[in-house]
Amino acid sequence: MKHPMLKYLRETGLCGDRFPTIFCPGCGIGQVLNYTLIAVDHIIHKDGISRDRFVFASGVGCSARLTSHYLNFDAIWSLHGRAPAVVTGALLAQPELKAIVFTGDGDAAAIGGNHFIHVCRRNLDMTLICMNNGLYGMTGGQSAPTTPRGTSSTTSPYGNVENAFDLCELAITAGASYVARWTTAHPKQCIQAIEKGIRKKGLAFIEIMTQCPIHWKEDPAKMMKKFLSQAMRLVKGKGKKPPKRDQFWVGEFIDRDQPEWLETYQKIIDRFR
Amino acid sequence: MSVNDHTAFEPLLTEEESRKVIHGPLPPGDYYLFGSDACVEGAVFAGCRYYAGYPITPASEIMEKAAERLPQVGGRFIQMEDEISSACSLIGASWAGAKAMTATSGPGFSLMMEAISFALMSETPFVIVNVQRPGPGQGYITSSQEDVMQARWGHHGGGSLIALAPASVQEMFDFTIEAFNYAEQWRVPVILLADELVAHMREKLTVRPKEGVKIVNRARPQDLGIPFEKFLPYEGMVPPMPAWGDGYRVNVVGLVHHPDGNITKYTPEMHLACVNRIYRKIEDHLDEIAKVEGFFLKGCRHLVVAYGTTTRSAFEAVNELRVKGRSDVGFLRLKTVWPFPENKIRSMVGPLENIFFPEMNLGYMIHPLKEALRDRVKNFIPIPCLGQLHAPEQIIEKVEEVIGKGI
Repeated sequence: MKHPMLKYLRETGLCGDRFPTIFCPGCGIGQVLNYTLIAVDHIIHKDGISRDRFVFASGVGCSARLTSHYLNFDAIWSLHGRAPAVVTGALLAQPELKAIVFTGDGDAAAIGGNHFIHVCRRNLDMTLICMNNGLYGMTGGQSAPTTPRGTSSTTSPYGNVENAFDLCELAITAGASYVARWTTAHPKQCIQAIEKGIRKKGLAFIEIMTQCPIHWKEDPAKMMKKFLSQAMRLVKGKGKKPPKRDQFWVGEFIDRDQPEWLETYQKIIDRFR
Repeated sequence: MSVNDHTAFEPLLTEEESRKVIHGPLPPGDYYLFGSDACVEGAVFAGCRYYAGYPITPASEIMEKAAERLPQVGGRFIQMEDEISSACSLIGASWAGAKAMTATSGPGFSLMMEAISFALMSETPFVIVNVQRPGPGQGYITSSQEDVMQARWGHHGGGSLIALAPASVQEMFDFTIEAFNYAEQWRVPVILLADELVAHMREKLTVRPKEGVKIVNRARPQDLGIPFEKFLPYEGMVPPMPAWGDGYRVNVVGLVHHPDGNITKYTPEMHLACVNRIYRKIEDHLDEIAKVEGFFLKGCRHLVVAYGTTTRSAFEAVNELRVKGRSDVGFLRLKTVWPFPENKIRSMVGPLENIFFPEMNLGYMIHPLKEALRDRVKNFIPIPCLGQLHAPEQIIEKVEEVIGKGI
């Protein structure tokens, strides 16, 4: 039996096969793609939105390879950290597009940090899915702004001296409409969050903690189990106790209606109609 | 100041005021216009409906005019967080089907190199206006032609692009239209190499009726009857370009790719085919692309060459020298500076004693010219000037110093 989401992928093309994918065995990025495509499939079928209104964009890194040539959609594998900027242009040129950005923690938090902040501040109508594996996978396991303090990596052989970034806190402060964090071990929640994010007017930021078994040198199944023990479920109404070391919050952190860029600017355009 | 500002947004312009503005391109007629404004009017005339930018002296006036004009014609303007994102957003806007533009100056132009390189590989058309200021570093904020080499060679990797150098307010309008035409026809980023003087100058602009002005729009596969299943986004000298949303499901890539966008099965042959084409599509069409203008070339023994704003002083100097009796001094003007039209120049210019090249830099474009004409010209003499335009006298003085005064 074929995987139901294969209809959205290009196994082959006019110049030959595109599969197998580049991803290492046990990598979580394929899971995130699966969750995303299921969410997109729901939107296409439930909301009657044409498949050809979707456009996928990414920067550089492992996460970015999702749009390198596997998607049977309009897509761009763009510049490192700059996918939010690329999509900004696309949406302003054609606001009907449904834009989904795949990004990684290095892509979004380091080289693309400024673009990430400002796209949240503008609250542009797009869905940003960040696969956070806590390191740079494509280049060989270097430290990222999300690598926990004290951890060793190829660029912090004596332990990482820097503090790690909380990207969800950043997105909330900058002004995104919808912010959630889950892990690859939360398939249902991931799908629901992405679906909600796509429907949400404004910027939706969904961070998915993703295992990189190769560079963390761990068994992928063990890593996913560990995610479940590390993930502290945020329950509304309950006081926010700071998570212990190695733990992190998961859940829907914010879901609010904020002024969105395109809608606001449209009022200026309409004034000249 | 708050991210939670829910105040209803009301445009700061009444409906009555909005009725008074021009809701389309400038109507035909004569205007007395600012160079930066003429550039934006040219863009609007060409069909530009997306502008992204970041303020920088001396290019900010273009951005301000774009902010005012684009919504009036149904386009969108955005002030980005830096020049990197400004240029990158052009890539998205262009693939979403819009003619897109930004303007900047030296330091910002440096930041745009990454996007230019990506645009070359992904064959994404857009226009970048560089209102040149002196460098290096922050340099100064007056006029310059110091980015002329950077425009061609500043980006990483291969590929070839087109750059034009306007010398008047009229050309700020005409060349901007031309820049969009080149971008759309050849699927390349096009650089308008303006400078502080031409952007801040006020003079007459004549706008011709729309019917008399050539406007190029990119070839689209649907217009050529190419079905989705058979469409190869990277094949043919200049492949047709669909917009996102058209149903062609194009995977835009910046990596070396096969004609369908597939990036696997790398071979040196596939690499050569991919990068060679994006270079050759420009360099093999120099005759069509490059625009060079010659004056007094018959019987000329000494030639003054110029491009951009220096054309103004250089042409006046040549005329003055000829009035003073030096009828053997000719003039050559590069309207496009890149690609460099070696053969075209050789077909126009015979053996010469001297070439004089006034540039608002220490002598950059004189090098490709030397390469093109080294077997025909004895001396190549740069006339450098930094931070300001040469006075015609400065050029006359140098020419007379070398060849003597007219009789």
